[in-house]
Amino acid sequence: MIEHIEYTSKVANDWKQAIADVSKDYSYLFKRVLDCSTSSQLQSKLWLVNELLNIYTVKDGLRTELQKHDISLKETLIGPLWPKNIALLGGWYANFSTELLITNIKAEFVHNCEFDEDAKIISYKFNKRYKDSGQYKCDIKDVMWQKFTEMVGERIVYDLIINTSCEHMFPMTRFYSLNKFENFPLYVLQSTNDREWDDHINCVSSPDELIEQAKITEVLYSGEQELDNGMKRFMVIGYPDKEGYRNDEITDSRLV
Amino acid sequence: MQNTIICVSWGDKYDRSYVKKLKEQCEENCSVPFNFYCLTDRPKLGTKHDINLPNYWDKYYLEDKGFFWAYRKCYMFALTHDDAETKEKRYHWWLQHFHNRTHDETSMRFNRAWKLDLEEKLFHRLGRIKGDKFLFLDLDVIIHHDLKYFFDLPMDKPYIVRGWWNDSDTCKKNYAKLKSTPLNSSVIRWDRGQLYEVWREIYANPELTFFTYPSIDNYFNHRWYNIWDEEKSFFRGFPQGDIYSWYKGNIFPHDMSKKTKRLDHKICLFNNSTQIEGENDDEMKEHWQE
Repeated sequence: MIEHIEYTSKVANDWKQAIADVSKDYSYLFKRVLDCSTSSQLQSKLWLVNELLNIYTVKDGLRTELQKHDISLKETLIGPLWPKNIALLGGWYANFSTELLITNIKAEFVHNCEFDEDAKIISYKFNKRYKDSGQYKCDIKDVMWQKFTEMVGERIVYDLIINTSCEHMFPMTRFYSLNKFENFPLYVLQSTNDREWDDHINCVSSPDELIEQAKITEVLYSGEQELDNGMKRFMVIGYPDKEGYRNDEITDSRLV
Repeated sequence: MQNTIICVSWGDKYDRSYVKKLKEQCEENCSVPFNFYCLTDRPKLGTKHDINLPNYWDKYYLEDKGFFWAYRKCYMFALTHDDAETKEKRYHWWLQHFHNRTHDETSMRFNRAWKLDLEEKLFHRLGRIKGDKFLFLDLDVIIHHDLKYFFDLPMDKPYIVRGWWNDSDTCKKNYAKLKSTPLNSSVIRWDRGQLYEVWREIYANPELTFFTYPSIDNYFNHRWYNIWDEEKSFFRGFPQGDIYSWYKGNIFPHDMSKKTKRLDHKICLFNNSTQIEGENDDEMKEHWQE
Protein backbone atom coordinates (compact mmCIF):
# COMPACT_ATOMS: atom_id res chain seq x y z
CA MET A 1 0.00 0.00 0.00
CA ILE A 2 1.34 3.39 -0.98
CA GLU A 3 1.11 5.88 1.86
CA HIS A 4 3.44 8.62 0.75
CA ILE A 5 5.17 10.37 -2.10
CA GLU A 6 8.87 9.71 -2.35
CA TYR A 7 10.42 13.07 -1.68
CA THR A 8 13.51 12.57 -3.79
CA SER A 9 16.04 15.29 -4.50
CA LYS A 10 14.51 15.79 -7.95
CA VAL A 11 11.03 16.19 -6.51
CA ALA A 12 12.36 18.56 -3.87
CA ASN A 13 14.15 20.63 -6.48
CA ASP A 14 11.10 21.08 -8.71
CA TRP A 15 8.65 21.72 -5.93
CA LYS A 16 10.87 24.19 -4.15
CA GLN A 17 11.40 26.08 -7.40
CA ALA A 18 7.69 25.97 -8.23
CA ILE A 19 6.80 27.55 -4.91
CA ALA A 20 9.54 30.15 -5.23
CA ASP A 21 8.38 31.10 -8.75
CA VAL A 22 4.74 31.30 -7.74
CA SER A 23 5.62 33.53 -4.78
CA LYS A 24 7.61 35.81 -7.04
CA ASP A 25 5.72 35.91 -10.33
CA TYR A 26 2.25 34.53 -9.64
CA SER A 27 1.52 35.68 -6.13
CA TYR A 28 -2.23 35.77 -6.92
CA LEU A 29 -2.04 31.97 -7.27
CA PHE A 30 -0.27 31.27 -4.02
CA LYS A 31 -3.47 30.33 -2.22
CA ARG A 32 -4.37 28.00 -5.10
CA VAL A 33 -0.99 26.31 -4.79
CA LEU A 34 -1.63 25.76 -1.10
CA ASP A 35 -5.07 24.37 -1.96
CA CYS A 36 -3.57 21.82 -4.31
CA SER A 37 -1.07 20.71 -1.68
CA THR A 38 -3.40 19.75 1.16
CA SER A 39 -3.49 16.42 2.94
CA SER A 40 -6.94 15.82 1.42
CA GLN A 41 -5.55 16.26 -2.07
CA LEU A 42 -2.84 13.74 -1.26
CA GLN A 43 -5.32 11.34 0.33
CA SER A 44 -7.55 11.26 -2.72
CA LYS A 45 -4.60 10.69 -5.08
CA LEU A 46 -3.11 7.96 -2.87
CA TRP A 47 -6.49 6.27 -2.75
CA LEU A 48 -6.62 6.37 -6.54
CA VAL A 49 -3.14 4.93 -6.98
CA ASN A 50 -3.69 2.17 -4.43
CA GLU A 51 -6.91 1.03 -6.05
CA LEU A 52 -5.24 1.07 -9.43
CA LEU A 53 -2.43 -1.05 -8.02
CA ASN A 54 -5.02 -3.51 -6.71
CA ILE A 55 -6.58 -3.76 -10.14
CA TYR A 56 -3.42 -3.99 -12.18
CA THR A 57 -1.41 -6.17 -9.79
CA VAL A 58 -4.07 -8.81 -9.27
CA LYS A 59 -4.81 -9.06 -12.95
CA ASP A 60 -1.13 -9.08 -13.74
CA GLY A 61 -0.65 -12.04 -11.42
CA LEU A 62 -3.56 -13.84 -12.99
CA ARG A 63 -2.13 -13.19 -16.42
CA THR A 64 1.23 -14.67 -15.39
CA GLU A 65 -0.48 -17.74 -13.96
CA LEU A 66 -2.48 -18.26 -17.10
CA GLN A 67 0.61 -17.89 -19.24
CA LYS A 68 2.44 -20.43 -17.08
CA HIS A 69 -0.24 -22.94 -17.88
CA ASP A 70 -0.33 -21.87 -21.46
CA ILE A 71 -3.92 -20.78 -21.16
CA SER A 72 -4.74 -17.86 -23.37
CA LEU A 73 -7.74 -15.83 -22.54
CA LYS A 74 -8.99 -12.62 -24.01
CA GLU A 75 -7.52 -9.63 -22.24
CA THR A 76 -10.96 -8.40 -21.34
CA LEU A 77 -11.42 -11.44 -19.14
CA ILE A 78 -8.23 -11.01 -17.20
CA GLY A 79 -8.25 -7.27 -16.88
CA PRO A 80 -6.28 -4.39 -18.29
CA LEU A 81 -2.57 -4.31 -19.04
CA TRP A 82 -0.51 -1.83 -17.08
CA PRO A 83 -1.13 1.59 -18.56
CA LYS A 84 1.58 3.33 -20.54
CA ASN A 85 -0.22 6.51 -21.44
CA ILE A 86 -2.47 8.25 -18.98
CA ALA A 87 -4.70 11.25 -19.57
CA LEU A 88 -5.69 13.56 -16.73
CA LEU A 89 -8.87 15.50 -17.38
CA GLY A 90 -8.72 18.85 -15.62
CA GLY A 91 -5.67 17.68 -13.68
CA TRP A 92 -4.97 21.17 -12.30
CA TYR A 93 -1.29 21.48 -11.25
CA ALA A 94 -0.90 17.66 -11.31
CA ASN A 95 1.77 17.88 -8.63
CA PHE A 96 0.77 14.79 -6.66
CA SER A 97 -0.87 12.74 -9.40
CA THR A 98 1.98 12.86 -11.92
CA GLU A 99 4.57 11.84 -9.36
CA LEU A 100 2.43 9.02 -7.98
CA LEU A 101 1.44 7.65 -11.38
CA ILE A 102 4.92 7.65 -12.84
CA THR A 103 6.59 6.26 -9.71
CA ASN A 104 4.02 3.66 -8.71
CA ILE A 105 1.99 2.79 -11.79
CA LYS A 106 5.09 3.11 -13.98
CA ALA A 107 3.28 5.28 -16.48
CA GLU A 108 5.43 6.25 -19.44
CA PHE A 109 3.49 9.37 -20.24
CA VAL A 110 1.04 11.57 -18.34
CA HIS A 111 -0.99 14.02 -20.40
CA ASN A 112 -2.82 16.68 -18.44
CA CYS A 113 -5.60 18.58 -20.20
CA GLU A 114 -6.55 21.82 -18.50
CA PHE A 115 -8.49 24.88 -19.62
CA ASP A 116 -6.70 27.20 -17.23
CA GLU A 117 -3.58 28.66 -18.85
CA ASP A 118 -1.99 29.42 -15.50
CA ALA A 119 -2.45 25.78 -14.46
CA LYS A 120 -0.35 24.71 -17.42
CA ILE A 121 2.49 27.02 -16.40
CA ILE A 122 2.40 26.01 -12.75
CA SER A 123 2.06 22.31 -13.53
CA TYR A 124 5.20 22.49 -15.65
CA LYS A 125 7.04 23.97 -12.71
CA PHE A 126 5.96 21.19 -10.33
CA ASN A 127 6.69 18.51 -12.93
CA LYS A 128 9.75 19.99 -14.62
CA ARG A 129 11.73 16.76 -14.32
CA TYR A 130 9.04 14.86 -16.23
CA LYS A 131 8.41 17.65 -18.71
CA ASP A 132 12.13 17.62 -19.55
CA SER A 133 12.17 13.84 -19.95
CA GLY A 134 9.06 13.92 -22.17
CA GLN A 135 6.96 12.04 -19.63
CA TYR A 136 4.63 14.90 -18.77
CA LYS A 137 2.74 17.27 -20.99
CA CYS A 138 -0.01 19.76 -20.32
CA ASP A 139 -2.29 21.04 -23.07
CA ILE A 140 -4.83 23.80 -22.91
CA LYS A 141 -8.01 21.97 -23.71
CA ASP A 142 -11.54 22.07 -22.44
CA VAL A 143 -12.23 18.35 -22.45
CA MET A 144 -15.98 18.78 -22.70
CA TRP A 145 -15.65 20.79 -25.91
CA GLN A 146 -12.50 19.66 -27.65
CA LYS A 147 -11.59 16.24 -28.91
CA PHE A 148 -8.42 14.43 -27.98
CA THR A 149 -6.00 13.55 -30.71
CA GLU A 150 -5.66 9.82 -30.52
CA MET A 151 -2.73 8.97 -32.70
CA VAL A 152 -1.70 5.61 -34.17
CA GLY A 153 1.89 4.54 -34.85
CA GLU A 154 3.90 7.27 -33.29
CA ARG A 155 0.88 8.43 -31.52
CA ILE A 156 -0.60 8.48 -28.07
CA VAL A 157 -3.08 5.75 -27.33
CA TYR A 158 -4.59 6.32 -23.94
CA ASP A 159 -4.79 3.28 -21.68
CA LEU A 160 -6.14 5.07 -18.67
CA ILE A 161 -8.20 8.23 -18.33
CA ILE A 162 -8.42 9.89 -14.95
CA ASN A 163 -10.93 12.55 -14.01
CA THR A 164 -10.74 13.51 -10.34
CA SER A 165 -12.83 16.62 -11.01
CA CYS A 166 -16.15 15.18 -12.14
CA GLU A 167 -18.02 17.54 -9.82
CA HIS A 168 -16.61 20.45 -11.83
CA MET A 169 -17.88 19.38 -15.20
CA PHE A 170 -20.66 18.00 -17.35
CA PRO A 171 -21.27 14.23 -17.07
CA MET A 172 -18.64 12.04 -18.71
CA THR A 173 -21.03 10.80 -21.41
CA ARG A 174 -20.20 13.97 -23.26
CA PHE A 175 -16.51 13.10 -23.19
CA TYR A 176 -17.19 9.63 -24.59
CA SER A 177 -19.27 11.03 -27.39
CA LEU A 178 -16.48 13.40 -28.34
CA ASN A 179 -13.74 10.78 -28.12
CA LYS A 180 -14.49 7.36 -29.47
CA PHE A 181 -11.19 5.80 -28.47
CA GLU A 182 -10.43 2.68 -30.43
CA ASN A 183 -8.65 0.90 -27.59
CA PHE A 184 -11.36 1.46 -24.94
CA PRO A 185 -9.32 2.91 -22.08
CA LEU A 186 -10.04 2.31 -18.43
CA TYR A 187 -11.60 5.25 -16.58
CA VAL A 188 -11.01 6.46 -13.04
CA LEU A 189 -13.61 8.97 -11.88
CA GLN A 190 -13.84 10.88 -8.63
CA SER A 191 -16.64 13.13 -7.45
CA THR A 192 -18.29 14.37 -4.27
CA ASN A 193 -21.63 15.21 -2.69
CA ASP A 194 -20.27 18.52 -1.35
CA ARG A 195 -22.54 21.14 -2.87
CA GLU A 196 -21.12 24.00 -0.79
CA TRP A 197 -18.98 25.34 -3.61
CA ASP A 198 -20.24 27.33 -6.59
CA ASP A 199 -17.94 25.51 -8.97
CA HIS A 200 -19.23 22.10 -7.91
CA ILE A 201 -21.75 22.06 -10.70
CA ASN A 202 -22.19 18.30 -10.92
CA CYS A 203 -22.23 16.65 -7.50
CA VAL A 204 -23.51 13.12 -6.96
CA SER A 205 -24.84 11.46 -3.82
CA SER A 206 -23.08 8.12 -4.04
CA PRO A 207 -20.65 6.00 -6.04
CA ASP A 208 -23.68 4.32 -7.61
CA GLU A 209 -24.95 7.63 -8.86
CA LEU A 210 -21.54 8.33 -10.36
CA ILE A 211 -21.61 4.91 -12.04
CA GLU A 212 -25.07 5.61 -13.40
CA GLN A 213 -24.26 9.13 -14.53
CA ALA A 214 -21.00 8.14 -16.22
CA LYS A 215 -22.61 5.02 -17.71
CA ILE A 216 -19.89 2.75 -16.34
CA THR A 217 -21.10 -0.74 -17.16
CA GLU A 218 -18.04 -2.77 -16.19
CA VAL A 219 -17.16 -1.67 -12.66
CA LEU A 220 -13.75 -2.75 -11.35
CA TYR A 221 -13.92 -0.65 -8.21
CA SER A 222 -16.33 1.68 -6.50
CA GLY A 223 -16.08 3.19 -3.06
CA GLU A 224 -16.18 6.27 -0.90
CA GLN A 225 -13.87 7.92 1.56
CA GLU A 226 -14.06 10.85 3.94
CA LEU A 227 -11.05 13.10 3.51
CA ASP A 228 -9.23 15.12 6.17
CA ASN A 229 -11.10 18.27 5.16
CA GLY A 230 -14.40 16.52 5.88
CA MET A 231 -15.34 16.15 2.24
CA LYS A 232 -16.83 12.85 1.19
CA ARG A 233 -15.38 11.62 -2.07
CA PHE A 234 -16.55 8.85 -4.34
CA MET A 235 -14.40 6.90 -6.75
CA VAL A 236 -15.34 4.59 -9.56
CA ILE A 237 -12.95 2.66 -11.78
CA GLY A 238 -14.28 0.87 -14.82
CA TYR A 239 -15.28 0.83 -18.44
CA PRO A 240 -18.22 2.63 -19.96
CA ASP A 241 -20.55 0.72 -22.23
CA LYS A 242 -18.77 0.48 -25.57
CA GLU A 243 -21.93 0.82 -27.57
CA GLY A 244 -23.83 2.99 -25.21
CA TYR A 245 -22.08 6.30 -25.74
CA ARG A 246 -24.52 9.07 -26.35
CA ASN A 247 -24.53 10.38 -29.84
CA ASP A 248 -26.16 13.71 -29.24
CA GLU A 249 -24.15 16.88 -29.05
CA ILE A 250 -21.17 15.37 -30.81
CA THR A 251 -19.43 18.49 -31.78
CA ASP A 252 -16.68 20.83 -31.87
CA SER A 253 -18.65 23.28 -33.88
CA ARG A 254 -15.63 25.39 -34.62
CA LEU A 255 -14.15 22.49 -36.51
CA VAL A 256 -17.21 21.84 -38.60
CA MET B 1 -25.17 49.82 -44.42
CA GLN B 2 -28.02 50.17 -41.95
CA ASN B 3 -27.43 50.64 -38.23
CA THR B 4 -29.60 48.74 -35.81
CA ILE B 5 -29.98 48.96 -32.04
CA ILE B 6 -31.49 45.97 -30.26
CA CYS B 7 -32.59 45.39 -26.70
CA VAL B 8 -34.15 42.34 -25.10
CA SER B 9 -36.97 42.39 -22.56
CA TRP B 10 -38.50 39.39 -20.86
CA GLY B 11 -40.19 38.52 -17.61
CA ASP B 12 -41.30 41.17 -15.19
CA LYS B 13 -37.99 42.65 -14.08
CA TYR B 14 -38.35 45.69 -16.32
CA ASP B 15 -41.63 47.13 -17.50
CA ARG B 16 -42.18 48.78 -20.87
CA SER B 17 -41.07 52.16 -19.58
CA TYR B 18 -37.48 50.90 -19.66
CA VAL B 19 -37.68 50.06 -23.34
CA LYS B 20 -39.33 53.41 -24.05
CA LYS B 21 -36.63 55.22 -22.09
CA LEU B 22 -33.82 53.36 -23.81
CA LYS B 23 -35.29 54.21 -27.20
CA GLU B 24 -35.54 57.88 -26.18
CA GLN B 25 -31.94 57.86 -25.01
CA CYS B 26 -30.84 56.38 -28.33
CA GLU B 27 -32.79 58.98 -30.27
CA GLU B 28 -31.20 61.75 -28.23
CA ASN B 29 -27.69 60.32 -28.47
CA CYS B 30 -27.27 58.93 -31.95
CA SER B 31 -26.41 61.25 -34.81
CA VAL B 32 -26.75 58.60 -37.52
CA PRO B 33 -29.99 56.92 -38.66
CA PHE B 34 -30.80 53.63 -36.94
CA ASN B 35 -33.47 50.97 -36.64
CA PHE B 36 -34.64 50.09 -33.14
CA TYR B 37 -35.99 46.69 -32.10
CA CYS B 38 -36.92 45.06 -28.84
CA LEU B 39 -36.98 41.27 -28.63
CA THR B 40 -39.69 40.64 -26.08
CA ASP B 41 -41.93 37.94 -24.71
CA ARG B 42 -44.71 40.54 -24.45
CA PRO B 43 -44.89 42.19 -27.85
CA LYS B 44 -47.43 44.94 -28.04
CA LEU B 45 -49.79 44.56 -30.95
CA GLY B 46 -49.12 47.12 -33.63
CA THR B 47 -45.75 48.19 -32.23
CA LYS B 48 -43.23 48.35 -35.06
CA HIS B 49 -40.16 47.71 -32.95
CA ASP B 50 -41.41 44.75 -30.89
CA ILE B 51 -40.18 41.37 -32.09
CA ASN B 52 -41.56 38.18 -30.60
CA LEU B 53 -38.80 36.61 -28.53
CA PRO B 54 -38.06 33.02 -29.60
CA ASN B 55 -38.38 30.37 -26.90
CA TYR B 56 -36.76 27.23 -28.26
CA TRP B 57 -34.09 27.26 -25.54
CA ASP B 58 -36.56 27.52 -22.65
CA LYS B 59 -36.60 23.73 -22.23
CA TYR B 60 -32.87 23.65 -21.49
CA TYR B 61 -33.01 26.16 -18.67
CA LEU B 62 -32.68 24.40 -15.33
CA GLU B 63 -34.82 26.34 -12.89
CA ASP B 64 -33.16 24.96 -9.74
CA LYS B 65 -29.69 25.71 -11.08
CA GLY B 66 -30.47 29.08 -12.57
CA PHE B 67 -27.45 28.88 -14.87
CA PHE B 68 -27.13 30.78 -18.13
CA TRP B 69 -30.33 32.60 -17.26
CA ALA B 70 -29.83 35.51 -19.65
CA TYR B 71 -29.78 33.08 -22.57
CA ARG B 72 -32.55 35.02 -24.30
CA LYS B 73 -29.95 37.58 -25.34
CA CYS B 74 -28.31 34.90 -27.44
CA TYR B 75 -31.26 34.49 -29.81
CA MET B 76 -30.25 37.68 -31.59
CA PHE B 77 -26.86 36.21 -32.47
CA ALA B 78 -28.68 34.10 -35.04
CA LEU B 79 -29.00 37.19 -37.21
CA THR B 80 -27.10 36.24 -40.31
CA HIS B 81 -27.09 36.57 -44.05
CA ASP B 82 -29.65 34.94 -46.24
CA ASP B 83 -27.81 34.68 -49.54
CA ALA B 84 -27.75 31.35 -51.36
CA GLU B 85 -24.13 30.55 -50.50
CA THR B 86 -24.52 31.16 -46.75
CA LYS B 87 -27.74 29.21 -46.76
CA GLU B 88 -26.10 26.24 -48.41
CA LYS B 89 -23.17 26.30 -46.00
CA ARG B 90 -25.64 26.36 -43.14
CA TYR B 91 -27.48 23.39 -44.58
CA HIS B 92 -24.28 21.35 -44.85
CA TRP B 93 -23.32 22.14 -41.27
CA TRP B 94 -26.76 21.16 -40.03
CA LEU B 95 -26.71 17.90 -41.97
CA GLN B 96 -23.25 16.95 -40.75
CA HIS B 97 -23.86 17.98 -37.21
CA PHE B 98 -27.29 16.66 -36.48
CA HIS B 99 -27.47 13.72 -38.88
CA ASN B 100 -23.82 12.92 -39.51
CA ARG B 101 -24.49 12.98 -43.22
CA THR B 102 -22.93 14.61 -46.21
CA HIS B 103 -24.81 16.32 -48.98
CA ASP B 104 -24.48 13.39 -51.40
CA GLU B 105 -26.50 11.21 -49.10
CA THR B 106 -29.28 13.65 -48.61
CA SER B 107 -32.82 13.37 -49.67
CA MET B 108 -35.74 15.75 -49.83
CA ARG B 109 -36.68 14.49 -46.40
CA PHE B 110 -33.60 16.13 -44.91
CA ASN B 111 -34.08 19.23 -46.93
CA ARG B 112 -37.54 19.65 -45.53
CA ALA B 113 -36.45 18.88 -41.96
CA TRP B 114 -33.70 21.47 -42.25
CA LYS B 115 -36.13 24.14 -43.33
CA LEU B 116 -38.47 23.28 -40.51
CA ASP B 117 -35.68 23.27 -37.94
CA LEU B 118 -32.80 25.64 -38.58
CA GLU B 119 -34.22 28.04 -41.12
CA GLU B 120 -37.45 28.36 -39.23
CA LYS B 121 -35.62 29.21 -36.03
CA LEU B 122 -33.36 31.67 -37.77
CA PHE B 123 -35.90 33.59 -39.74
CA HIS B 124 -39.39 33.01 -38.51
CA ARG B 125 -39.29 35.67 -35.83
CA LEU B 126 -36.03 37.48 -36.49
CA GLY B 127 -36.60 37.89 -40.21
CA ARG B 128 -38.16 41.30 -39.66
CA ILE B 129 -34.98 42.69 -38.13
CA LYS B 130 -33.19 44.83 -40.66
CA GLY B 131 -29.69 46.16 -40.57
CA ASP B 132 -26.03 45.30 -41.02
CA LYS B 133 -24.34 46.94 -38.03
CA PHE B 134 -25.79 45.88 -34.71
CA LEU B 135 -25.52 47.38 -31.27
CA PHE B 136 -27.11 45.57 -28.34
CA LEU B 137 -27.88 47.56 -25.21
CA ASP B 138 -29.18 46.30 -21.88
CA LEU B 139 -32.21 48.15 -20.55
CA ASP B 140 -30.30 49.39 -17.50
CA VAL B 141 -27.76 51.65 -19.16
CA ILE B 142 -27.35 55.39 -19.31
CA ILE B 143 -26.00 56.78 -22.56
CA HIS B 144 -23.71 59.81 -22.25
CA HIS B 145 -22.39 60.21 -25.79
CA ASP B 146 -23.15 59.85 -29.48
CA LEU B 147 -23.67 56.18 -30.34
CA LYS B 148 -22.29 56.85 -33.82
CA TYR B 149 -18.92 56.03 -32.26
CA PHE B 150 -19.95 52.38 -31.91
CA PHE B 151 -21.19 52.10 -35.48
CA ASP B 152 -17.90 53.53 -36.76
CA LEU B 153 -15.66 51.01 -34.95
CA PRO B 154 -13.39 48.82 -37.10
CA MET B 155 -15.08 45.43 -37.09
CA ASP B 156 -12.41 42.82 -37.62
CA LYS B 157 -13.84 41.33 -34.43
CA PRO B 158 -17.12 41.81 -32.54
CA TYR B 159 -17.00 43.82 -29.31
CA ILE B 160 -18.18 43.11 -25.80
CA VAL B 161 -17.71 45.03 -22.54
CA ARG B 162 -14.39 44.24 -20.94
CA GLY B 163 -15.00 45.17 -17.33
CA TRP B 164 -11.83 47.13 -16.75
CA TRP B 165 -12.91 47.57 -13.14
CA ASN B 166 -12.06 43.90 -12.54
CA ASP B 167 -8.67 42.90 -11.22
CA SER B 168 -7.18 40.70 -13.98
CA ASP B 169 -5.31 38.59 -11.47
CA THR B 170 -8.54 37.78 -9.65
CA CYS B 171 -10.20 36.90 -12.95
CA LYS B 172 -7.36 34.52 -13.83
CA LYS B 173 -7.26 33.03 -10.35
CA ASN B 174 -10.98 32.31 -10.43
CA TYR B 175 -11.20 31.25 -14.06
CA ALA B 176 -11.49 27.55 -13.26
CA LYS B 177 -13.96 28.29 -10.49
CA LEU B 178 -16.32 29.83 -13.06
CA LYS B 179 -16.23 33.10 -11.12
CA SER B 180 -14.93 36.67 -11.56
CA THR B 181 -15.62 36.98 -15.25
CA PRO B 182 -13.97 40.03 -16.81
CA LEU B 183 -16.73 40.37 -19.43
CA ASN B 184 -20.10 42.02 -19.31
CA SER B 185 -22.66 41.51 -22.06
CA SER B 186 -24.61 44.72 -21.39
CA VAL B 187 -23.26 46.24 -24.59
CA ILE B 188 -22.32 44.19 -27.65
CA ARG B 189 -21.43 45.44 -31.10
CA TRP B 190 -21.31 43.14 -34.13
CA ASP B 191 -21.92 43.10 -37.84
CA ARG B 192 -24.57 40.84 -39.33
CA GLY B 193 -23.40 37.24 -39.32
CA GLN B 194 -20.45 37.91 -37.02
CA LEU B 195 -22.01 36.21 -33.99
CA TYR B 196 -23.70 33.42 -35.88
CA GLU B 197 -20.90 31.08 -34.82
CA VAL B 198 -21.72 31.76 -31.17
CA TRP B 199 -25.41 31.08 -31.76
CA ARG B 200 -24.55 27.90 -33.65
CA GLU B 201 -22.41 26.61 -30.80
CA ILE B 202 -25.19 27.14 -28.25
CA TYR B 203 -27.75 25.71 -30.66
CA ALA B 204 -25.65 22.61 -31.18
CA ASN B 205 -24.74 22.16 -27.50
CA PRO B 206 -27.59 23.48 -25.35
CA GLU B 207 -27.40 20.86 -22.60
CA LEU B 208 -23.71 21.38 -22.00
CA THR B 209 -24.01 25.16 -22.13
CA PHE B 210 -26.95 25.46 -19.76
CA PHE B 211 -25.46 22.93 -17.36
CA THR B 212 -21.98 24.37 -17.14
CA TYR B 213 -21.96 28.15 -17.18
CA PRO B 214 -23.47 30.17 -14.33
CA SER B 215 -23.96 33.18 -16.61
CA ILE B 216 -23.71 34.06 -20.27
CA ASP B 217 -20.82 36.39 -19.43
CA ASN B 218 -19.02 33.42 -17.95
CA TYR B 219 -19.79 31.38 -21.06
CA PHE B 220 -18.35 34.12 -23.26
CA ASN B 221 -15.28 34.29 -21.05
CA HIS B 222 -14.65 30.56 -21.36
CA ARG B 223 -15.57 29.98 -24.96
CA TRP B 224 -15.02 33.24 -26.81
CA TYR B 225 -12.46 35.24 -24.89
CA ASN B 226 -8.95 34.78 -23.62
CA ILE B 227 -8.15 36.72 -20.48
CA TRP B 228 -4.48 35.82 -20.88
CA ASP B 229 -4.24 37.25 -24.39
CA GLU B 230 -7.07 39.27 -25.88
CA GLU B 231 -5.47 39.09 -29.31
CA LYS B 232 -6.34 35.39 -29.37
CA SER B 233 -9.95 36.14 -28.46
CA PHE B 234 -12.99 35.96 -30.68
CA PHE B 235 -14.37 39.07 -28.98
CA ARG B 236 -12.55 42.32 -28.51
CA GLY B 237 -13.24 44.33 -25.38
CA PHE B 238 -14.39 47.92 -25.80
CA PRO B 239 -11.37 50.08 -24.98
CA GLN B 240 -10.83 51.70 -21.61
CA GLY B 241 -12.69 54.99 -21.37
CA ASP B 242 -15.77 53.83 -23.30
CA ILE B 243 -17.93 52.08 -20.72
CA TYR B 244 -17.91 52.06 -16.91
CA SER B 245 -19.94 50.57 -14.10
CA TRP B 246 -21.98 52.68 -11.71
CA TYR B 247 -21.68 50.14 -8.92
CA LYS B 248 -18.17 48.81 -9.53
CA GLY B 249 -16.07 51.65 -10.87
CA ASN B 250 -14.06 52.20 -14.01
CA ILE B 251 -10.48 51.00 -14.23
CA PHE B 252 -8.73 48.81 -11.69
CA PRO B 253 -6.93 49.84 -9.53
CA HIS B 254 -6.65 53.60 -9.94
CA ASP B 255 -10.16 54.72 -10.93
CA MET B 256 -12.52 52.66 -8.87
CA SER B 257 -14.82 55.20 -7.26
CA LYS B 258 -18.36 53.92 -7.29
CA LYS B 259 -21.56 55.81 -8.04
CA THR B 260 -19.57 58.46 -9.87
CA LYS B 261 -20.77 59.92 -13.11
CA ARG B 262 -18.09 59.93 -15.86
CA LEU B 263 -19.48 62.10 -18.60
CA ASP B 264 -16.42 61.71 -20.78
CA HIS B 265 -17.36 58.03 -21.20
CA LYS B 266 -19.95 56.79 -23.66
CA ILE B 267 -22.10 54.48 -21.56
CA CYS B 268 -22.69 53.78 -17.87
CA LEU B 269 -23.83 50.29 -16.82
CA PHE B 270 -26.14 49.82 -13.88
CA ASN B 271 -26.22 46.06 -13.65
CA ASN B 272 -24.52 44.55 -10.68
CA SER B 273 -24.03 40.88 -10.02
CA THR B 274 -23.88 41.47 -6.27
CA GLN B 275 -27.22 43.22 -5.94
CA ILE B 276 -30.66 41.69 -5.86
CA GLU B 277 -32.24 42.17 -9.23
CA GLY B 278 -34.20 45.37 -9.49
CA GLU B 279 -33.03 46.49 -6.08
CA ASN B 280 -31.35 49.70 -7.18
CA ASP B 281 -33.41 50.54 -10.21
CA ASP B 282 -34.67 53.74 -8.64
CA GLU B 283 -31.12 54.98 -8.59
CA MET B 284 -30.91 54.56 -12.34
CA LYS B 285 -34.28 56.17 -12.85
CA GLU B 286 -32.94 59.30 -11.14
CA HIS B 287 -30.51 59.60 -14.05
CA TRP B 288 -33.41 59.43 -16.50
CA GLN B 289 -34.69 62.69 -15.07
CA GLU B 290 -31.47 64.57 -15.80
